[in-house]
Amino acid sequence: MKILIIEDEKELSKSIATYLKSEDYLCEVANTFHSALAKTEQYDYDCILLDITLPGGSGLEILKELKANKKMDGVLIISAKNSLDDKVKGLTLGADDYLPKPFHLSELSARIAAIIRRKKFDGNHLVKFNCISIDTQAKIVTIYNKHLELTKKEYELLLYFVSNKKKVISKNAIAEHLWGDGMEGNNDFIYTHIKNLRKKLFDAGQIDYIKSIYGMGYKFSDI
Amino acid sequence: MKLIVKYNRANAIATVIVLLLSAICYYFFIRAVLVHQLDKNVKVEEREITNYAKENNQLPEPTNYKDEQEEFLPATDAKTLRTFSTINIFNKQQDENVSYRQLQFGVNAGNKKYKIVIRRSLEETEDLIQLILTISLAIALILLVSLFLINRFLLSKLWKPFNSTLHQIKKFNLSGKEKIDLEDSDINEFKELNDAVNIMTNQVSQDYEEIKNFTENASHEIQTPLAIIKSKLELLSQSENLKEEQMDTIQSIYETTNRLSKLNQSLILLTKIENRQFTENDEVDISDITSKHLNNFEELITAKQINLSKDIKADVKLIINEDLAQILIVNLITNAIKHNYDDGCIQITLTTQSLNIFNTGIPLISNPSALFERFKKDKVTSDSLGLGLSIVKKICDRYNFDIKYSYADSIHATTINF
Repeated sequence: MKILIIEDEKELSKSIATYLKSEDYLCEVANTFHSALAKTEQYDYDCILLDITLPGGSGLEILKELKANKKMDGVLIISAKNSLDDKVKGLTLGADDYLPKPFHLSELSARIAAIIRRKKFDGNHLVKFNCISIDTQAKIVTIYNKHLELTKKEYELLLYFVSNKKKVISKNAIAEHLWGDGMEGNNDFIYTHIKNLRKKLFDAGQIDYIKSIYGMGYKFSDI
Repeated sequence: MKLIVKYNRANAIATVIVLLLSAICYYFFIRAVLVHQLDKNVKVEEREITNYAKENNQLPEPTNYKDEQEEFLPATDAKTLRTFSTINIFNKQQDENVSYRQLQFGVNAGNKKYKIVIRRSLEETEDLIQLILTISLAIALILLVSLFLINRFLLSKLWKPFNSTLHQIKKFNLSGKEKIDLEDSDINEFKELNDAVNIMTNQVSQDYEEIKNFTENASHEIQTPLAIIKSKLELLSQSENLKEEQMDTIQSIYETTNRLSKLNQSLILLTKIENRQFTENDEVDISDITSKHLNNFEELITAKQINLSKDIKADVKLIINEDLAQILIVNLITNAIKHNYDDGCIQITLTTQSLNIFNTGIPLISNPSALFERFKKDKVTSDSLGLGLSIVKKICDRYNFDIKYSYADSIHATTINF
């Protein structure tokens, strides 16, 4: 999977690249408008992370260029300008998603995975982790071909974990992913969901994948 | 007190005092002049009598009219003192005192000494004075009334530019886009005032705009370093073999960074609402939004074993910015859940007129109305910014919704009347 990170803040693009590389993505970075334009013209990417404010031009111009050239790259806008104008503009211009800065890397990774899944044309909407198989279109989870009954939030939680496997995910990131802004800090709510999910996976014959990481959050891992 | 009233009052008092004083002076002056004239006539009479007595060695016939009386009396003293005086004599016919000017003097006629008394009635003089005074008082009164009326109309006309300027200043809204529009005046003072007001409002608007832009830019610029810190911390937390102590530290920095970022975003949002930067208003289905968000929190509500009862009328539509509508509803719902306790209850009623949310929760310590103020929170919990309700209030103010909050019998009640 090839990802292009168009972001002028070098430190931020470095962090993103490091995180995504550990998830087995191939990452390229463009720090200016012109280098970004050159790269998008030359290569195809599975997903492009696009900052709006760039030295040399607006990220929205790059998006327009992509759409004019009928490129099929997925586009995720990451902008410090949490202005709704940019969001609406970006999405109407054909961006797949919008994530305001500052974001959780785990959230970014989950959004990228979702975009890439949606962009796939072979109809493969399956996300697999060991014997857990998640059909992201039908929103069904099966273990050993047996249907696993999950509530909506448990399903979202599992998908989020699998999209960030072997990563420590903070409770705040989980809370924000599940309920959006306003619910962070209420860790007991998350705990209830995690407990239920854990139990259901265990009952389906799985080992305990969800590890509590002291003080920080959770990690979904089979080791 | 209005300027015009104060001015008129002072004016009236001054005019009345001056008129009264001048009337008194006038009375005495005219009286003096008239009496002097009368005395002159009396003196002419005296000379005639004296001359007649000298030439004829006898006195003439005394005249005796109502207003002109002469008395010739044989003198008892050696010499009669010549004196002028004013006396009152009771008139039986008219049943009143009549004033007379009287001169007495001595005359020798035919070796006899006489005391002559000449009296002239002052009645006519008094009548004249009275008439003159009445006329002058009438004129004074007319003058007073006309002055009052002129002042009234003239002043209100003169002050019109001032009042118009005042009205404009009162109407002036810093966050509004329209500039102050002052009426031209040909009066220098008001011209100066208008110029000063124009300069001041322009300056203030400009400063306001600059501060607004600065705040907005600063807030946006802060998000990028925050994003870097956050991403670095997230990477750092992936490291193997972290000690518990280090994990604690990382987590604490991470949470604080989150808080800072949320705080910043909330403040930007508040400023934007205040500056009326959410301009696109559409017909938004509030029922839909409410149901959607309640649905989103459904599992959370179940997990907390909160009893939710909802009565949401379908197709409740408002002309509002959709994003603000979402923020409004989400903030209210999350508040009702967050500040609730296990086994509590939430009751949400939506009608075309109002949205009512009743929920159980920890009793309120502070003043309910203070909750809408920024950074007011009832408990010291670090996970709450204390901006949620002030955002709700700002949105309600923006669309002239009436929001009420009350707490009674462990039930928090929030009502928004659209």
